[in-house]
Amino acid sequence: MRYIAFWAVLFGWLWSADATLEVVKGVQSLPNLAIEDGSAIANDTSKRMYAMLNADMNVISLFNVDDHYAFSTYESLTPAPNHTNAQYVLRYRLVDDGAGGLRTDIRLLQNGTELFEKSYILKQSEMLVFLSHTIAYDINTKLGGGPLEWMKRKVLLVRHSSPRHSDIVAADYTLSYQKTVLSGGMYGFAKWANNEQTDFYYTSLADFKPTIYKMSLVNGKKEKIISADGMAVCSDVSQDGKKLLLTLAPSGQPDIYLYDVDTHGKTRLTDFSGIDVSGQFISNETVAFVSNRFGYPNIFSKSINGSAITQLVYEGKNNSSFSAHKDYLVYKVRESTGGYGGTVFNLHLLSLRSNGVRRLTSGGENDFPRFSGDGEAVLFIKQEGSRSSVGIIRLVLNKSFAFPLKIGKIQSIDW
Amino acid sequence: MIKNVAFLSAAVAMLLLSGCSKEPAIDATAKQSTTTQTASSTVGTEKSNVIAPVTTASSEDSSASNATNGSEGLVSILFDFDKYNIRSDMEGTMNADAALLKNKTVKLEGNCDEFGSDEYNFALGLKRANTVKSALVNSGMNADSISMVSLGEGNPVCLEKTQECWAKNRRVDFKLP
Repeated sequence: MRYIAFWAVLFGWLWSADATLEVVKGVQSLPNLAIEDGSAIANDTSKRMYAMLNADMNVISLFNVDDHYAFSTYESLTPAPNHTNAQYVLRYRLVDDGAGGLRTDIRLLQNGTELFEKSYILKQSEMLVFLSHTIAYDINTKLGGGPLEWMKRKVLLVRHSSPRHSDIVAADYTLSYQKTVLSGGMYGFAKWANNEQTDFYYTSLADFKPTIYKMSLVNGKKEKIISADGMAVCSDVSQDGKKLLLTLAPSGQPDIYLYDVDTHGKTRLTDFSGIDVSGQFISNETVAFVSNRFGYPNIFSKSINGSAITQLVYEGKNNSSFSAHKDYLVYKVRESTGGYGGTVFNLHLLSLRSNGVRRLTSGGENDFPRFSGDGEAVLFIKQEGSRSSVGIIRLVLNKSFAFPLKIGKIQSIDW
Repeated sequence: MIKNVAFLSAAVAMLLLSGCSKEPAIDATAKQSTTTQTASSTVGTEKSNVIAPVTTASSEDSSASNATNGSEGLVSILFDFDKYNIRSDMEGTMNADAALLKNKTVKLEGNCDEFGSDEYNFALGLKRANTVKSALVNSGMNADSISMVSLGEGNPVCLEKTQECWAKNRRVDFKLP
């Protein structure tokens, strides 16, 4: 049902005035792909697998994916009767592996010829969607598609569960898999601590003393990093995991600090009397951050070793949220009031090299932009009326996807 | 049969989730195709694919959630959108609160509406608390008897999407020990 809704949202976006329009014209030239369930017995799990694969194969953008489910014989080299127009067939079957796991066999056929076959054992049945992502990743790699490492990565988010309570949740990139990893207190600002995504930083507001902890997702072990009066946030982690950008507020004054994980030493980078927050590395020597030094939140940069401040964004009056990747920023801009009475927040992409700006979204409240690790995609949350969705923008392909979302109020996201 | 498979999977998942196993979440093997070569990599065997058990809060974590609201006639100070200066219409309330807090210890909680990013809102809430602290110190309170924290948009008193509701959430609350 969730993935039926996925289609509704996807098509809803395609006809909207979003950046996806250009790609719609190109869909016709993609080869047709049909996905077929070759399990011995079709059941809810195998049909759910179909829906997940259907969504993922759309996202890899190598095919025009037929959205008609079909049950067929796994060994057959020909498409099912309702898929005769398909040049490609992705057939899968789910099998009990006899050892407590779920084995999934897949084969990719092109005009009756097998291109690829592979088997997977899934031990954690609740993570079925990650298996779908892995299959899509493997097929994309086999066919020479663009980089898709981000498809297999986990998303970390904090959601408000009730006033003064929040949960930290691990999810897949569609947020269809969600597992609460920390609950019972008031938390915020969960941030991956390493590329392997085995550890993360978060803030706990225990005893009114904001404290940053590092927690392992493997064994649940927590380690206290630093606490500060008023505010303590881990805003960014360097590529090697050795340096952190923190927002600390001794004496009630929020500023950005560089923290050395090994030595525990910290260096204050900003000293403006207003608000400086959300530091992010845009190189080893430079950080971007949000400041209200001109009277409203906007995005600036400074050298770690220098004092000069550079304004990076010259549009909008409420640019308080952004994500940085090398020479690119994606940031939230508050725009005109929407037709239904709400306020419109759109995401814009800025090239720091050319200063070119491209609007990525259209309508609604678009927030929490996060670049993938390779900068190929942007994940964000869209709220339009009562409808929420998680969006994926593949920047190079100029193509957007949306997955319906039911999670409540989100406080922060990391990818 | 299928139910048994599902049960089996769930049982093993429980073992993995409880940290009793180092088995990979997804193990993949590629067979040689009859017509073309296939990949031979093994994917999904990283320990990063294993997500740990739900971890409940420590007793310290819960303490932030159990605070009681201030009493003794204290009234929250309200702020304008994206501002942290005390409005002229709140000056009387601020003076009355300062008189009630004389010679007491107080915790100030800064709060925001739902606009603004996660970090910016926390900073904004803290600046609001800091403004109230300055006003209390100027009225004669000892700065050491005042502590502050920002709750960002995490402690709303009103959940509707209206101007009136957002205005109620842009506030500083007083908490007495």
